[in-house]
Amino acid sequence: MKHARVLFNGSELDVTVEDSFAETGQLKSKIDGQLINEADVTWLCPVKEPGTIFALGLNYADHAAELAFEPPKEPLVFLKGANTLTGHKQNAYRPDNIEFQHYECELVAVIGKEGKNISREDAMDYIVGYTVCNDFAIRDYLENYYRPNLRVKSRDSLCPIGPWLIDRDDVGDITNLKLTTHVNGELTQEGTTADIIFDVPFLVEYLSKIMTLKPGDMIATGTPKGLKDMQPGDTVVCEIEKVGALVTHIVSEQTFYGDKY
Amino acid sequence: MSKNPIVKGKLVCVALNDAEQFNAMQAEFAEAPYKGAPQQPVLYFKPHNTWSTDGAVVEWAQVDGSPAEQMVVGASLAVVFGKECCRVSETEALDYVEGYTLVHDFSLVEQNYYRPDIKGKCLDTSAPIGADVVAVADPQALTVVTSVNGTVVNETPVSQLVRGVAELISTISYIMTLQPGDVIAVGFPGQRATVAPGDKVHSVIDGVTELNNTLGQ
Repeated sequence: MKHARVLFNGSELDVTVEDSFAETGQLKSKIDGQLINEADVTWLCPVKEPGTIFALGLNYADHAAELAFEPPKEPLVFLKGANTLTGHKQNAYRPDNIEFQHYECELVAVIGKEGKNISREDAMDYIVGYTVCNDFAIRDYLENYYRPNLRVKSRDSLCPIGPWLIDRDDVGDITNLKLTTHVNGELTQEGTTADIIFDVPFLVEYLSKIMTLKPGDMIATGTPKGLKDMQPGDTVVCEIEKVGALVTHIVSEQTFYGDKY
Repeated sequence: MSKNPIVKGKLVCVALNDAEQFNAMQAEFAEAPYKGAPQQPVLYFKPHNTWSTDGAVVEWAQVDGSPAEQMVVGASLAVVFGKECCRVSETEALDYVEGYTLVHDFSLVEQNYYRPDIKGKCLDTSAPIGADVVAVADPQALTVVTSVNGTVVNETPVSQLVRGVAELISTISYIMTLQPGDVIAVGFPGQRATVAPGDKVHSVIDGVTELNNTLGQ
């Protein structure tokens, strides 16, 4: 089943996304079964109470090569703030006066139960489902301190996520899912989760050795090669086979912040 | 695992903000992998599994299934936000602060600052946050004093930080919108104190608040 969260008539609402959605554009309220038109909602982050957001750097062999890095011998993990999260079909901004901002289409594994020292063999029991995120990066802001630093990776709106959370067992095998990114309709990134260096079971074992994982924690598993600069006005679609297609509109910093700019 | 009633959303910590440490590391900053001193505040998160409370026992870290050989601690003045803080100037920054408290950052020994230190800094219960949120007119005038088993190990005047409280709030608020219940730990002593299992760690800001924790076994 696909679970989403939306803003409808000013309130947050949990909905399911049925197979008929592609034809009807209707979402189903989990409270009373009411059918709601997509046009009447704002999509939210599908994880109700986001916990720790782990993200992986250089976790696809082809992307590491693209950035002229040796593939890491140990996962390169960084954390992101929940301020970065925004929903499907929402705006993300390009900061003023920068040279290079790129998308990163990533499979996100969402933790469903608390655990510590979880073995690789048991790891998948702790995953409730999957979603897609677009873990934008501003390369201009990279510094060699806690790289990639928060200024690069923890900016408001720069981790769109969704459209929905799909149950783990509805996806099944995640070791060879196709990933694509389209910018304004043009294919700009193409890869497969088969190229992941440190896979989800490894990461659950690795992280849970360090710390307790809790429901709502998320692991964004990295991105394959295919970087491209983004500009205000661009529409970017990050899609992962069997999981979903996440649409984001790029706007200027001034448009995004409005009165607060 | 203790919940903390004060921090609700993000606990942002500032590293390399002790002027003495910052100046002493200039030669190291020039070398690989850094290739230049930091131009911006060096920030890291302590995620929600780390949050703990005054009086709590801090778990002794396990590394690959065995007790860690060493842990270290630093204390910082912590800013608690009372209202949403987005893109504010240095002059108005303190208006968004509800009050101040203390944060202990327990970690493994810091090896370097090149990559995010998940292994060293994300340990369960490793970030106790004080119980009181106290209004203070001038946070720059405060001094954080830390003792281990009754012996003073660090004394850090906030005025000796590379970047002060208002500047940090302003800079960080342009990166991420801060919400009520978000906390910034503005700076830790460059020389973190080594601790052993069972040690008692006490930090105080005279006349404002204190924070007490004990290391587990």
